[in-house]
Amino acid sequence: MTLTDTPARGGGGTGSAGDGPDAGRDGAGRGETGGTPGGPAGRIRGAGLEPWAMALSVAVALAGAALGMNGVLRGWAWYPPVLTTVFTVALATAALRSLRLPGVVVSLGGFLSLAAVLTSTFFRPSSIAGFIPSAETLGQLQAYLRRANETILGESTPVAPNAGIVLLICGVLGLLVVLVDTLCGPLALPATSGLGILAVLVVPALVKPQSVGWPAFTAAAAGYLMILACSHWFHPGTGLRGDTARTPGQLRRAGVLGAMALALTLLVQAVVPGFDQGAFPQGSRLTPWGGATGLNPMISLGNSLRSPSGVGRITYASNAGSAPYLRSVTVDSFDGDSWSPDDRDATRRPGTGAIDPGTDVTADEQVRTVTAVNTGQFTSPYLPVPYAPASVSGLTGRWNWDPATLSIKGIDVNSRDQQYVVASVAPKLTPAVLDRATEQPRGLPDLFTRVPGNVPAIVRQTADTVTAGAGTEYAKAMAIQAYLRSPAFTYSLQAPVQNGYDGNGLSVLADFLAQKSGYCIHFSSAMAVMARLEGIPSRIAVGYAPGRPTGSTVSLAGLGALPEYEVDARDAHAWPELYFQGLGWVAFEPTPSRGVVPGYATEAAAPSGASTNENNDGLVPSADPKPTTSAAPLPVPVPAAAGGTATGPEIPWPLLYGAGGVLLAALLLATPALARAGLRRRRLRAAAEDPAAAAGPAWAELRDLAADYGLPPRGSDSPRLFAARLLGSPLLGVPDGVDAPARGAVETLTAERERQRYGRPGVEGQSPGAAGGGSGSASGNETAERIALIRGSLRANARWAARLRAGWLPPSLFTRWRNALARPFTRPLRRVPRPAPDNRATPQTPNGAAETRSGFRGAVRRLRRN
Amino acid sequence: MDFHRRTTFDETVDEAMAAPQQAAHVPAARTGQEPMDPAEFSRACDRILAGINTVIDGKAEAAKLALTVLLAQGHLLLEDVPGVGKTMLAKTLARTIDCTVSRIQFTPDLLPSDVTGVSVYNQATRMFEFRPGAVFANIVIGDEINRASAKTQSALLECMEEHQVTVDGTSYRLDEPFMVVATQNPIEMEGTYPLPEAQRDRFMARISMGYPDREAELEMLETHQSASPLAAVSAVVTAAQVAAMIATVQQVYVSRAVKEYTVALGRATRESPLLRLGASPRSMLQLLRAAKATAALEGRDFVLPDDVVAVAEPVLAHRIILDRKAAGTGETPQSVIRSILAKVPVGEGAAGPPAGRRR
Repeated sequence: MTLTDTPARGGGGTGSAGDGPDAGRDGAGRGETGGTPGGPAGRIRGAGLEPWAMALSVAVALAGAALGMNGVLRGWAWYPPVLTTVFTVALATAALRSLRLPGVVVSLGGFLSLAAVLTSTFFRPSSIAGFIPSAETLGQLQAYLRRANETILGESTPVAPNAGIVLLICGVLGLLVVLVDTLCGPLALPATSGLGILAVLVVPALVKPQSVGWPAFTAAAAGYLMILACSHWFHPGTGLRGDTARTPGQLRRAGVLGAMALALTLLVQAVVPGFDQGAFPQGSRLTPWGGATGLNPMISLGNSLRSPSGVGRITYASNAGSAPYLRSVTVDSFDGDSWSPDDRDATRRPGTGAIDPGTDVTADEQVRTVTAVNTGQFTSPYLPVPYAPASVSGLTGRWNWDPATLSIKGIDVNSRDQQYVVASVAPKLTPAVLDRATEQPRGLPDLFTRVPGNVPAIVRQTADTVTAGAGTEYAKAMAIQAYLRSPAFTYSLQAPVQNGYDGNGLSVLADFLAQKSGYCIHFSSAMAVMARLEGIPSRIAVGYAPGRPTGSTVSLAGLGALPEYEVDARDAHAWPELYFQGLGWVAFEPTPSRGVVPGYATEAAAPSGASTNENNDGLVPSADPKPTTSAAPLPVPVPAAAGGTATGPEIPWPLLYGAGGVLLAALLLATPALARAGLRRRRLRAAAEDPAAAAGPAWAELRDLAADYGLPPRGSDSPRLFAARLLGSPLLGVPDGVDAPARGAVETLTAERERQRYGRPGVEGQSPGAAGGGSGSASGNETAERIALIRGSLRANARWAARLRAGWLPPSLFTRWRNALARPFTRPLRRVPRPAPDNRATPQTPNGAAETRSGFRGAVRRLRRN
Repeated sequence: MDFHRRTTFDETVDEAMAAPQQAAHVPAARTGQEPMDPAEFSRACDRILAGINTVIDGKAEAAKLALTVLLAQGHLLLEDVPGVGKTMLAKTLARTIDCTVSRIQFTPDLLPSDVTGVSVYNQATRMFEFRPGAVFANIVIGDEINRASAKTQSALLECMEEHQVTVDGTSYRLDEPFMVVATQNPIEMEGTYPLPEAQRDRFMARISMGYPDREAELEMLETHQSASPLAAVSAVVTAAQVAAMIATVQQVYVSRAVKEYTVALGRATRESPLLRLGASPRSMLQLLRAAKATAALEGRDFVLPDDVVAVAEPVLAHRIILDRKAAGTGETPQSVIRSILAKVPVGEGAAGPPAGRRR
């Protein structure tokens, strides 16, 4: 990752060193004089400080946003190349811009510098002179991109920063630098550049469980503000300034906007049904290439279960008599905040022809089963196989296996589109056999027995309480399983999400035991940890619960036609495996309503167990030991398992959402029109109810009507002045035309309004030569007629666009809303002390809070009135 | 001349200042005059204006304003270059009303006693006897008021404000209606005593005549060639009628909204950064009185904000003082008042701040 002297960077460096101070003075000078005269020296000296400040802002914003990628990529090794790329491209564009080259050339230069820096960083050996790509480089690039593609499709979130993915990230960030720079520079749309920064932040927000994180967000926001500030300083004439710089209410306005955005965010979050279900559940991965779901054991399991459609379908056929569990990988280390499988790449052994289970099975009888698996679209580094695999044939690519856990992992391939046949061998297990296995485990790696530190007290207490009185290891295991399957516990995919303990780890376990609600991760890890606390070696197996029969059969050589089963993401499952000396790893099923309880783990003496859990009642009879002839663990197909745990009757969510969305949009669209019509109706009703005061609402309506049709009333408009403006504008046609009645109505309304507001109270139209022609108070009906007349005339004279706006987006309404919102923030205009009721001298300036409050109350009252 | 001699009249309280909002509700308290019938009022006004317009061509606005000031019991300051008809306007106004008129030509050697009157020893009665000065008239025309010394000016100004003359400790009440129409020449200022701010504040309105337009000037040359048109003017209303008209004006109703608007205007002049000195409370009072007269002239018995706006410029412009910087940028008192009028909300659109309404 060394930096070579690419010309762009070199040029940028010298440019900044040589031009910096001069350019700064130049820029400052231009600010005063309004532009240097276009002398030749000015042209050569460049564009001043601006390009450098802007480039720095862009680089800070994007490099800052890229901080959030930590966690998407493991470690920090990927960050130096990202920094190099971002800053090189930014400085290159700045250097070109300071030469006052056209915008197209600058963008082109940005692309070239990006290519150069990527070549120099990733393809130095194959390049020409260190930074010019050669034909060989392009070949390598293809391989890198393929690698990146596999990483994205196959691996789970904290991916190792391999060259492919880092190259991809560097390239995208470099392109974004050019994009943002173009937006801020030649296109003069600095506010829009936030989209580019957002694009970077979206990746960690979607992929990482803990989202973007504050350092990345802070850095990105700071960079964005710097971009805005730069464009404000250097281009005060562009659209950014608006009229906010002139008016003093900038801070207030920003406060109102911010508060509204915050309120909206909180409101929407509370109102929307929830991100843990629906079409795009929280944390789910975008799978644009169709159905690929990496079964990352612990993190993605919950999401897989919650996914609405069964993606990653696997079909398999077995001679076991019933569908077996498919196991991908195990989790054995319970330390740390987040559990994940330990790959132990060093001790893995290549080849899958003969797999040594590693434990000497001394049982009298072994059960051998053969399973043919077709993984289809399922994409994972691990191979799903029934336990315990003895050999796997038919695989493409190179695979290796872990002697300790028997997990099979691809070296350069993944599980997508694999068809293979697995031969599994397992001891035949019965409660009696298990009960006899009381010897201390021998020769087992320490990692399966190590009790994690900082086990929450509730876990230890629960384990001790539950297993009290159980003699053998088997009895303890059964006691724990019975406890977890007791009615006190409920199976729920949503409860952990809603209560904030979705995930895995010891702290999550404590929450689970307290809330007694969760899904397989919680049940299996609870049993595994409690078993270790009681001295039984344990681990968590991750894979698929037994699937549903598809109805078709698959013929295998030598075995004939075998029934076929299918599983998909919704069958993802985790279960504990406990070690018994002489028998090996034995699976248990503590999760209610999922999977099947193996025959050896169904206890007649524990009536309080599984039978009371809903959806599970059908399991117990079939788990009767009698028909279990061969396989262990003894799987019984549960066709209804998936359906039963899902939402019950199928609800067409997308359709409902779509209809709801359309309805909401229509409602939103019609809201202004409805509100405006309601306002008019209320005013006319008020006018009809109180003919003496009819002029008030009628006048308000007239003002709003004129505002709707493009003549907003000014604050300093008296009724007479406003009427004169209205009649003088072309809104109501010409005098003595067809609109004469409407014009007359305006004059009448004006006269009535003047009399009502300014006239002597209680005196009706006896003034000398009143303009209203002695019409003291019109009845409400007349008022309504006049308003209708004026409205009709306005409509007839307006063009269609103005008519549409007045109908659907009436400006008067928005002014009204804006004023109501701004009301609490505006200083009271008049400080004339109101006549105090108790005749005491009121202070000229009451304290601010009370003032604001009364202002707010006034706003609310005003909103309600009329 | 008809002198009315009064005994000591002790009225120290400026009644208008003490209770501004009651001014409208205590009609005709001072004159004791019955208000006039609206129709008759309107006819009388028309007659006066028609009379003035036969003399002064093309200056209907100035004539109307002069009448407004008369009806509002104010004093008028005519300020313009020589020869545009300032004195002519004052004389015509006086002539159309059948009342006492006196004219004082202010010169630097004019003494206060020439204006107010003097006590003279009467040999026959062996007593001092008051000889009223020129100010004892219904309409006093003070020509070139800025030529008199400050002492003489203040003697006149006391009469203007208090409608009384105090000589040797005795106060003499002046007749109603009483109006001073002063003229002032702003160009030739050498050897003059310009009115200080405090004294300019006593005049209700200041108007400048301005040159007549082409047609009016042409017509003037045609008709006024041979004889003075002033001779043809005869009185169209009596002093008593004018007093009744004044009473009518006093009865015009002022709503709270208009009062609030007036106060807002005054505060805006005081808060304006362009002004060194804003409008005084007295000027607010006079503004409202002028607005009432305007409303009455329009044939209304209540004041509209438009009436206040109509008289704001002549009433306020001569009382405010521009900030030096604002004067440097070419602002005039008139332009500042116009911009304030455009900004202060009338209160019609009660919902919302006035700022930011315009795009």
